[in-house]
Amino acid sequence: MSRFLTLLGLCFWGVTAPLRAGVGEAAYERGDYVEALQTWRAQAEQNGVTAELLAAIGNAEWKLGHKGRAMICWERALLLSPRNPVALAGIKHAQGAGGTDRPTQTWSENYAAFLGADLWLILGALGFWGTLLAVLVPKLRRQPMGDWTQRILITSATLFALSIPGLYGAYTLASRAVVRRTDVAVKLTPTVLGEALNGTAEGDVLRTGRKFNGHTFITSADGKGGWVKSTELEPIWGGGLPINLDQMQAP
Amino acid sequence: MRAFFAILAAFVAPSLVQAENHVTWEITPPVCGPGQPFRLQVRIESDDVLGPANQVGKEIKPPRGMALRFSGQLFRANATEATLNFSGVAPEDEGTYVLPGFNARFPSQVVAVPAITLIVSGKTGYRKEGRARAELVLPDRTFYVGEKIAGRVVMRGSEQETVTGTFGLECEAEGFNFQTEGSAFTQPLQDGLGLTKTFDLTPIRAGQGEFNLSGIMLVNTGDRISSLSTSGRDRPFNFRRKLTVEHVPETGRPADWGGSIGKLEATPPDLSNRFPEVGEPIKLKLTLVGEGNLERIVAPELPGSDSWDIALAPELRQRRGEGRRTFIYTLVPRLPGDLKTPVIRFATFNPDSKKFESVEFISVAVKVSGNAPAKVELVTMDPSAKIGAPAAKMITGLLTPTVAAGTKGVAKIEPLAASQPFWLSNSAALVTLLLATLVISVVGYFAAHPEILIRRRARGALRRHRAAALEAQRRQDYAAYARAITQGLRAGAAPLLQAEPLALTQSDILRALPSANLTLLTAVFLAADGAKYGAKDGAQAIAEDAQLQAMLNTLEAQL
Repeated sequence: MSRFLTLLGLCFWGVTAPLRAGVGEAAYERGDYVEALQTWRAQAEQNGVTAELLAAIGNAEWKLGHKGRAMICWERALLLSPRNPVALAGIKHAQGAGGTDRPTQTWSENYAAFLGADLWLILGALGFWGTLLAVLVPKLRRQPMGDWTQRILITSATLFALSIPGLYGAYTLASRAVVRRTDVAVKLTPTVLGEALNGTAEGDVLRTGRKFNGHTFITSADGKGGWVKSTELEPIWGGGLPINLDQMQAP
Repeated sequence: MRAFFAILAAFVAPSLVQAENHVTWEITPPVCGPGQPFRLQVRIESDDVLGPANQVGKEIKPPRGMALRFSGQLFRANATEATLNFSGVAPEDEGTYVLPGFNARFPSQVVAVPAITLIVSGKTGYRKEGRARAELVLPDRTFYVGEKIAGRVVMRGSEQETVTGTFGLECEAEGFNFQTEGSAFTQPLQDGLGLTKTFDLTPIRAGQGEFNLSGIMLVNTGDRISSLSTSGRDRPFNFRRKLTVEHVPETGRPADWGGSIGKLEATPPDLSNRFPEVGEPIKLKLTLVGEGNLERIVAPELPGSDSWDIALAPELRQRRGEGRRTFIYTLVPRLPGDLKTPVIRFATFNPDSKKFESVEFISVAVKVSGNAPAKVELVTMDPSAKIGAPAAKMITGLLTPTVAAGTKGVAKIEPLAASQPFWLSNSAALVTLLLATLVISVVGYFAAHPEILIRRRARGALRRHRAAALEAQRRQDYAAYARAITQGLRAGAAPLLQAEPLALTQSDILRALPSANLTLLTAVFLAADGAKYGAKDGAQAIAEDAQLQAMLNTLEAQL
């Protein structure tokens, strides 16, 4: 009986899963962004996030006027798939039409975005271990370095050298965050009553530095530095769907 | 005769023509409070040169209750303009007071100044007496998350205490963003006795929160210490107010609402060119004005049509406090003829009426010349693009997303660099490799230099035999003493001679220790090894202990 129910459940799952995916897209097409968002969020909570799903959620959030959530989704989609067209178009649209700011990527960041942070780290680790073993193993075996060992050494050392700017770019790319509050003051000091130097708006992408006293040092797209409350930012790395910043209703 | 009269008329006519005078006046402030000092300025422009006015104060008859005196005049030689200044104090009763017209007597002419009206009202906030005080001006209503609330602090002074400055404005409000624009946004009040400081408040979460605003105003108490300095003091102010914040209601929320909250109005669209050719890009500038969160508004997306290709041009970020937001669209006509730009509707939420409203930018008539291409296609939006250059595919607006069904994703996007197992396993492997390398290197070194270990072992054996000799000496066991010394000498000399210790005789020891006493060595060796052959005991050797210990020390030093 239980086997029958399991089979029935699998059949039902197989039939409904594509339908639910289609529901979100259909709702988006007809302009019902709340329905599309709810469908995709449920899908993300059940199956985890993918680049396509995050980019789609970003579009729906943007349509609903949630700039910060949309930018977080698009940026995270690019972490999973650096050339996702929907996320790239969304960010470009947000920068152009929406007036959001995003720091110009340095050459090392563009280089890092070519493969993604994880792949650079794997390549760097392979290069490092290859180089180390190619140097140490002949010494330990008290034998001269053979042809193949030399080839491995050169290849690994080259791979390691090429991965260093990628790793650096991935590190600087990772230290970015999106402003989640509507209008955030950039302060001179990391204190609650610090003097406001200038402001940054929801959806702006900032480079983040050290943290102190509940504040994070940021550098804006135009190079201006200051302190912002850490709770007003959401790091791009280290999450799935955007966090909910709305205050819970009192019971 | 006729000629004479004509000449006479020509001379007399200029003297009969009256110069035309233009008189204006201004009272500061325009509406006075009861008993408030005011300043009256009368400006006279004439066709003739005016010069200084004479006896102006004598002809003025101010109404009952009003004090007015002539305080000076501004004029220049050979100028046709003059300014008369009066200082006065408004009557204590509210109402409209008319200062009767009077004559201003200049050397060349008399200018009639018309009647001047002064309005005295108790609603101006002017106070003759009393302490300076601050008032918080905030709308008394429910606020909405994301809206921009324009608030201000009005610091009212009096004749006794004028507010001359403010600093240290601080806000403690959980759930709100507070922003001021510095001293540039501190404006003097109309009565000149106080200041007003504006600020923006943006709720960022729903619920009930407490708004706490404090600051300091600089008060001039009017107690003159000397003619050049007056006494002033800092006076703090503090406001606490409970504010209720809600989310913008979802009921009735239009699909195209982009987060706009406020009372906004559309200005007439501004078009860069009303007579373009087919394919020629033109700029459509739409400006929203009013009170609201203009910075947060997302530009409405406009789909293209048969007549127009439309793209949203990058906009310049507006400065805070401008009270306007401009969207610029690039329109490219696809067809010739009389076209109209699309009507653009914009949804906004009015926090006062608590309803969504539609703001509409009207269409503009455009006359498009040129011929319709066989296949209408938007080549490029960039007017500076080279002719014939391949058009890059432009990405404008949002792309329609597609989501693959059943694809397994990740719960959290964590970089591999943040993975603890990755770094632990790599670190463990690296440490193991380095340790193995170290061990193998050490072992290999000792294998290549065996004398190090041989000498080390010989030193150990020598010390053990020396200790045994001392022990035997303490027991007066001569044979054991001689054996221990002999073994110590053999163990110490063996590495130097590269021989086995047991194979060494006293002459071999002499090769390692050329300065040693052969007689003594022989005696010790005899005592050690000759006992079994009936040799004499080693009492003599014990007597020479110091020499034997010196031999052992020399050998140990050579190892």
